[in-house]
Amino acid sequence: MGDTVYENRELMVIEASKYIRDGEIVFVGLGLPVIASTLAQRMHAPNMTLVIESGVIDPQLKLVPLSIADERITRKAAMLGSLREVFGCILQRGMVDVGFLGGAQIDQYANLNSTVIGDYYKPKVRFPGSGGANPAACHAKRLLIITPHQQRRFVKKCDYITSPGYIDGLYGRKNAGLRKWNPSITIITDLCVMDSDSTLYRYQGSPGSGQLRLVKLMPGTTVEQVVENTGFELIMTSPVDVVDLPTESELSLLREIDPEGIYFQE
Amino acid sequence: MRNSKIMTVSEAVGRFIFDGASIGVGGMNVVGSPMAIAHEIVRQKKKELTLLGCNLSVAADILIGAGLVKKCECGTCNIGCRGMPSMAYSARKYYEEGKLEIEDYEHLAMVSRFLAGEMGLPFMPVMSCLGSDILRYKAPSTGKKFEIIENPWNSGEKVLLMPAATPDVAIIHVQKVDEIGNVIMEGFVAHTPEMVRASKKVIVSCEEIISSEETRNYPEMTTIPHIYVHAIVEQPCGSHPTATLRYYGCDVEHLRMYQECAEAALKEGSSGMESYEHYLQEYVLSCATFDDYLEKVGGVSRLTELRRRMREVM
Repeated sequence: MGDTVYENRELMVIEASKYIRDGEIVFVGLGLPVIASTLAQRMHAPNMTLVIESGVIDPQLKLVPLSIADERITRKAAMLGSLREVFGCILQRGMVDVGFLGGAQIDQYANLNSTVIGDYYKPKVRFPGSGGANPAACHAKRLLIITPHQQRRFVKKCDYITSPGYIDGLYGRKNAGLRKWNPSITIITDLCVMDSDSTLYRYQGSPGSGQLRLVKLMPGTTVEQVVENTGFELIMTSPVDVVDLPTESELSLLREIDPEGIYFQE
Repeated sequence: MRNSKIMTVSEAVGRFIFDGASIGVGGMNVVGSPMAIAHEIVRQKKKELTLLGCNLSVAADILIGAGLVKKCECGTCNIGCRGMPSMAYSARKYYEEGKLEIEDYEHLAMVSRFLAGEMGLPFMPVMSCLGSDILRYKAPSTGKKFEIIENPWNSGEKVLLMPAATPDVAIIHVQKVDEIGNVIMEGFVAHTPEMVRASKKVIVSCEEIISSEETRNYPEMTTIPHIYVHAIVEQPCGSHPTATLRYYGCDVEHLRMYQECAEAALKEGSSGMESYEHYLQEYVLSCATFDDYLEKVGGVSRLTELRRRMREVM
């Protein structure tokens, strides 16, 4: 076990898959979330239901799809439906347990930016935009975000909030009028696991601030490495847990689902 | 006997698409982009277009790259596929150079706007977007992007209203249509049913034309009845290089080549522009028909390979 050779990015996917519970309805975004969800479906959560933005409901995935709308993602689905059903009905009316999103610019309140870097009207870089990320962030009961840990991604304040985390504090979502205003938000990277401190009441303590805190380190990673690669001050918790090492079966299944390491290239 | 609506793509585009039109674009990412219709719009140089859709993919990007689009209203401009950055590069180039407006919505908002349009309603309530910068910024030419009201039945609850979207023309590619325009879609339908019903005119290209006798034997299989449809174009492989479910898979290699040309135009100045212009010339402008294009990208043997890829995943 201790000799198992793996990459931190693989462990990131394996760790993320563990945050999905059996029986849950999971809205998945492109890339790493699809791989981690497929892994969860094939490991410990056979009764989970994946929903995909193009209208695919409950596919049984074998190989990692090329994209969110390609033919691979339709494999053995319960239904090939519409965007209206996935977003309007399943997501907006509140049936989705987990919104599972991929990398973007992320700030200290777990807001996500997938729209522009720089000024909105004269940007340095224009990105594709929200797609399904905004409604997933608004309406899921819980949010999982998986992304490689780089300083350029983890910034104090997003240039543009495409998908709301806690916006500007514990009551940011409530003030904005979002129904799901106190979700748990967990971010899994190749260095660590973070979550939003969103506790409303603490006995003899102050409530959470809605900001991100460090909860787990990848094996062999130090707090200093995380701090170095994060563009804002993380809330520290003690003691910090360490992510479990991957098992042989987790690794071999991951490599079977994504034999070409498609989403590890960037 | 009802009149047939079957015509050539050049007749359909010539009759129904006009300079300044707003066009609802079907397809999502690497499936079902209406490529044959988009190529013809490029050949006929219809200008000043506004494109509406959820995930505007390569059909939209070619129209943008050909300099024909002034504005997009969409959830994303995305051709993402494995090993490729997801941004549609012509959209990125024109936006960053200030030559294209993108009105940023998201998929729920866009499909809700089409839903309002198809039901003849002025707007639709949407409960997403709140607290995000989608409500902070709007494109320069947009009048009122949204309104927030208080729920009349639940005081204190905010409700976001988004305006109906009613494109002048919808362009879609599907599996089967009969000669009078009954549309049979297989696979996921994304935003197509709402968008088509919300549009004033509809051009459908298809893999196969079937007989309306056949449709009438199994009318519950009809996705969109003929009353919404104005032009039918028979074009096998009409969504290449994107996939059509059950018929052929996505041509990843060709898509990547397209993205590389568009990326060059974005990043490499005039020599990059040449490579994109060359793509347009070689694969669109110098082709009299979409069949000519299909010959250039590998003809029957390539199609056979793409059919094999589809079988593999079904």
